[in-house]
Amino acid sequence: MTTHIETDQRPTGSSGTRTSERPAPRIDTLRIRNLTKTFGGVTALQEFALDVRGGEFISLLGPSGCGKTTALNCLAGLLEPDSGDIEVDGDHIVRTPPERRRFGMVFQNYALFPHLTVERNIAFGLEMQRIPKAERDERVDQILNLVHLGEHREKYPAQLSGGQQQRIAIARAVVTEPRIMLMDEPLSNLDAKLRLEMRTEIRRLHHALGLTTIYVTHDQEEALSLSDRVVLMELGNIRQVGTPRDVYQEPASAYAASFLGCRNLLPVRVASLDGTSVTAESASGMSLTGSLRGELTPGDNAIAAIRPENINLLQQGNNAPNTTIGEVQAVEFLGQGTELSISCELGDNIIVRTNEDTWQYGDRLVLQLPGDRFFIFPAESEEG
Amino acid sequence: MARKMHGSSTETRTTLNRPGFRINRSAWLNLLMIVPAVLLVLGLFIYPLAYGLRLSLDPQTGGGILANYEHFFTDERERATIWNTVRLALPATLINLLVAIPLAYRMRRVVRGRRLITGLFVIPMTLGTVLIAQGMLSFFGPAGWFNKTLEFLRITDDPIRLIYNRTGVIISLTIAEFPVVFLILLGFASGIDPNLERAAQMLGASGWQRFRRIILPLMVPGIATAFALSFVMTFAVFPTAVMLGQPAGSTRVIAFAAWQAAYERFDYSAASAIAIIMASIEICVLAVVFGLRSRLYHGPASAGKG
Repeated sequence: MTTHIETDQRPTGSSGTRTSERPAPRIDTLRIRNLTKTFGGVTALQEFALDVRGGEFISLLGPSGCGKTTALNCLAGLLEPDSGDIEVDGDHIVRTPPERRRFGMVFQNYALFPHLTVERNIAFGLEMQRIPKAERDERVDQILNLVHLGEHREKYPAQLSGGQQQRIAIARAVVTEPRIMLMDEPLSNLDAKLRLEMRTEIRRLHHALGLTTIYVTHDQEEALSLSDRVVLMELGNIRQVGTPRDVYQEPASAYAASFLGCRNLLPVRVASLDGTSVTAESASGMSLTGSLRGELTPGDNAIAAIRPENINLLQQGNNAPNTTIGEVQAVEFLGQGTELSISCELGDNIIVRTNEDTWQYGDRLVLQLPGDRFFIFPAESEEG
Repeated sequence: MARKMHGSSTETRTTLNRPGFRINRSAWLNLLMIVPAVLLVLGLFIYPLAYGLRLSLDPQTGGGILANYEHFFTDERERATIWNTVRLALPATLINLLVAIPLAYRMRRVVRGRRLITGLFVIPMTLGTVLIAQGMLSFFGPAGWFNKTLEFLRITDDPIRLIYNRTGVIISLTIAEFPVVFLILLGFASGIDPNLERAAQMLGASGWQRFRRIILPLMVPGIATAFALSFVMTFAVFPTAVMLGQPAGSTRVIAFAAWQAAYERFDYSAASAIAIIMASIEICVLAVVFGLRSRLYHGPASAGKG
């Protein structure tokens, strides 16, 4: 097994044996209990509950409208939840106004104060804390060095690029030594290259400063690469919580699978069960064998899911189980590999990712769906 | 950022698309397009001003070319009109700013009934100064509702005098100019990115600190504009000063002095001189206000991608 980078950085508690120079996190635990928030009869957040250890990096992942930003704003205190509790090291703060929570927040549009220089922007939180000028200057210096923007201290936000502005926004939040860092899609306004750079930067600062971070995003790659744990949300509810590895390899539902890269979803009907192996029938009557995920009985409607990179392409004439013949409808060269859209008995648009770049439009080929990577979930009911 | 880049790319494109021989033609076309506007400004503004200036330098009563101006500044009664007018225009403008700034701040976000409230605030603008003055004469008069109510509540026995004095004129100017001041400030306040306040709040700023450190500085350009507009308009006060004030005494404003020169003494030359003095004072005030404004922050009220 490959080593998992995040494990090195996970806090190890009081009995920690790590020799990491990472400063101790400023909190031990953040407990969120049953936060509920409705807007005019629509439930934006339902019974949101999560325990966060100090030093953890948590991502709230989901499409727009899933309640992730509502959850973050309730944590910040910018929204008042209808019910529920937030507890930081035994301190119940759900009724504490934002200005007294000592949380840091980074906004999607940076929200830098346009009339203040970079230096004054960063010093703002320290001034609010009435920190003496000498110490203030020292801490502003330190943080400017940390984000490599020392030479821009006299500039105004409008004179900086998007990436620089985002760095200042992060610096402004972390300089106050917040108990918890909240980030609301901080990278979504940046271009692709900068996004990758800033992603690394955020992870670096999180580690170097011993932060406890709650990060909202709709980008699964961001969530997987940054987080210690991912919280997958849908329609105001938590659907799955786990390490990036867990949620990626063991999605708990068809929804989780689809949001985490299982782009091929097929409606099937369960024919028979044998331990964790399921035999199901596709809409076209094809018999498929896959791995059981969740509770199913024969006759149930189910959803079969497989990632584009897990489908094998074989030579024609192969008669192995779980195979079908298809025809290439589109070829997309991606640099690292090629993506094919294939029309076959299972559907018109089955996506396959392959390292061979010899396939062309109109080619006929055999698809094989390996049973251990082919998940069969219960069909989603309308519980949401 | 984006705005800047966009701007420069447009410029580049324009220059690239226009080879040398076409520049002249399109430049002429552009000049032709602004001719109506130029004529309008020349005819309605520059010409009367120049005419008035020339008239004022040709005194009807004899003397040197500056005789009218000398007279205005040496005659105690004439000179006092400047101060009389300032004492009306400045308080009315400052009261409006003091009321409108917090109000615009409150109303910057969409609150329930914002349209209705805005509508109510704007009504005075549609009334005109004469109607307001008429209304105030009856409302604040000795037998008006205001004093009747005070007497009924036993708050006072003697009617409070709010008309035929400076207070009355200031009240009517305040009412008349409030909509302009409020609407300008509301525009500026609504333009402030709400996330700026949230960011300040997360950094520990209390409500007052957020207003004082973030909102107020970002509203300064609006405050300067509203001040300038309101001051200039109230500085030209005429009907209310006559109807509600003491046109022979404390509210003998500069516009009234000009009117008297023109239509009581039929000295158009002296009247023009007074009008020129009035315009000069207004221009000086505008220069000072916008000079100060440019020294403070006057960029966009939201950073981020512009």
